[in-house]
Amino acid sequence: MELSQFLQNVLNGLAIGSVYAIFALGYTLVFSILGIINFAHGAVFTLGAYFTYTLVVGQFENNGLLKGINLFPDGSPFSGTPWLFALATLVGAVVAGLVAVLVERLAFRPMRARGADPLLALVSSLGVALVLVNLIQLLVGAEIYNFPSDAYGQVQPALSFQVGDRVVIVRTVQIIIFAVSLVMLAILGYVIGRTKVGKALRAVAENPGTASLLGISVDRFILITFFLSGFLGGLAGTLVGTAFGVAGPYFGVTYGLKGLAVIVLGGLGSIPGAVVGGLVIGLAEAFVPAQYSAYKDAVAFALLFVILLVRPQGLLGRAQIQKV
Amino acid sequence: MADFLGQYGFLIVTLVQAGLLGLSLYFPLQAGQLSLASPGFYAVGGYVAAILLTNPVFAGVRETLGNGMFPLTWLAAALLCGLLGVLVGVPALRLRGIYLALATIAFVEILRVVSLNLPITGGAIGIFGIPQAFGFQDRWQYIWLFGPLLLLTLLFARQLERSRVGRAFRAIREDELAADAMGVPPTRYKVLAFVIGAVLAGIVGAMSAPFLNTWNAKQGTFDASIAILAFVLIGGSRNIWGPVVGGALLTAIPELLRFLADWRLVINGLVLVVASLYLPQGIVGALEGVRHPPPPRRPPSVPVVVEAPGGGS
Repeated sequence: MELSQFLQNVLNGLAIGSVYAIFALGYTLVFSILGIINFAHGAVFTLGAYFTYTLVVGQFENNGLLKGINLFPDGSPFSGTPWLFALATLVGAVVAGLVAVLVERLAFRPMRARGADPLLALVSSLGVALVLVNLIQLLVGAEIYNFPSDAYGQVQPALSFQVGDRVVIVRTVQIIIFAVSLVMLAILGYVIGRTKVGKALRAVAENPGTASLLGISVDRFILITFFLSGFLGGLAGTLVGTAFGVAGPYFGVTYGLKGLAVIVLGGLGSIPGAVVGGLVIGLAEAFVPAQYSAYKDAVAFALLFVILLVRPQGLLGRAQIQKV
Repeated sequence: MADFLGQYGFLIVTLVQAGLLGLSLYFPLQAGQLSLASPGFYAVGGYVAAILLTNPVFAGVRETLGNGMFPLTWLAAALLCGLLGVLVGVPALRLRGIYLALATIAFVEILRVVSLNLPITGGAIGIFGIPQAFGFQDRWQYIWLFGPLLLLTLLFARQLERSRVGRAFRAIREDELAADAMGVPPTRYKVLAFVIGAVLAGIVGAMSAPFLNTWNAKQGTFDASIAILAFVLIGGSRNIWGPVVGGALLTAIPELLRFLADWRLVINGLVLVVASLYLPQGIVGALEGVRHPPPPRRPPSVPVVVEAPGGGS
């Protein structure tokens, strides 16, 4: 492989891998606290993209119950400059976070209160995902929605540089995705590692019983976790949406599954693991040769299968000792 | 009667088929293994039948065997799925709980992407024009295939439960390490339970390919894994009737809700939420509970933690 091609693949892989990472962080946060995989996370991802779209464009195409409704007759207050778009993205992510909180109240808390089998909580979260995805389909139809091409406004054009005799191109949206992901990771790392909220979260993740004895309101921190998880999921949804268009209500399904591969690869419940897993899978996909691109979607799962066999606790996970 | 079968025959056969798929997940669950691989084996079985029944390469065999071709497809599907079950099962069953579930999801996804791209499976279009089994004229006639298979499976499951093997499965489900310490080799029995489920799903697939007339990569997806898991959990995972009742009911609900038109899938999701909340032992479990109320259980004071992965002992 030529150097230019290599660089191009690395850059593409880092951009998509960083989105996988922040999406998967949402999964892993919930897993580390509850020990349950929240299957509604993919639906929250989709919702994040649609909320932002609603704020920026305000009307929907020719299907669904919302067709013909124009939220902003005088033009959306969120479109025009990149900063307004960023604001819309943020609001979209916050709403997605609130939906995740709702998911917790509807699907997880009642289960916890009854001490139900964790498998049932999983089925319940699948039920919620089914409800959310089909509600989206009812409301806005199944079309592909593209964010306005000037969503990021007049941010500097795509980067390109000469390597050997070929040109390596990095799209603006890729730079933004990568930068936003880095910033989010830094903020999250700070919140979890350095603040009082983060300390409490870690205590709850370690042992909810002891944490509650120490005066930590476990239910409240579970809600916070779900909000953070939904926020990250919704943000990832908008980022992917701006790069590829929002491809219908089932937009999040593939990401939901790949997110699972990411967190297991990195180590279930491990935050650095989710980041490493996301980047590894993003890079691995970018290096799939063009003639085999149809097999791209299997890369994450093949990696997942291999890692489970070689190192079941994931790359950065802790091995646990079995006791009778 | 003919009208009734014409209208509901397809649905009735589909209900039985769903019950069988539920049972294919129930067997590994008997040995405590949460495997979501059933749709993968179901898809493989269907592809085996579809290829044997349509590919020009096998024209000679079809000519000679006539209707005997159909049992041959079941046998081929069972053998291939059994073999695949061992190949996937031996390494995958070193994993526990949610890790095994995720590995089997990965298996199903890899199979899906591969079948979507191979020439022999017809790529994205799949295989169509699969001849009807034994020259059946109506879809309801497939009850003559799926019905006996369901009865046989139920009988087998019941006999299995009473046998030494079934007791070993239960011992492993309740406590694998303790079972191991008592001289029950967990790996052997776990693979056996996994392979029984794989073979059953493969045969159901081989019977379903002519029933559906066409076969493509949509037959084995993550959605199907989840649907089948829901059959078992909603029906009840501790009794052979659970998967059957759950499969039939969850397949029937969207049909019964047809009058709700676009809202029915939303309602279907709500059914899953409400059922997992109010019927934690499944429908069959709840009915049993009425007859023999279980001893009161103390709810755990802390959220239940999913088992960690382990390399066995």
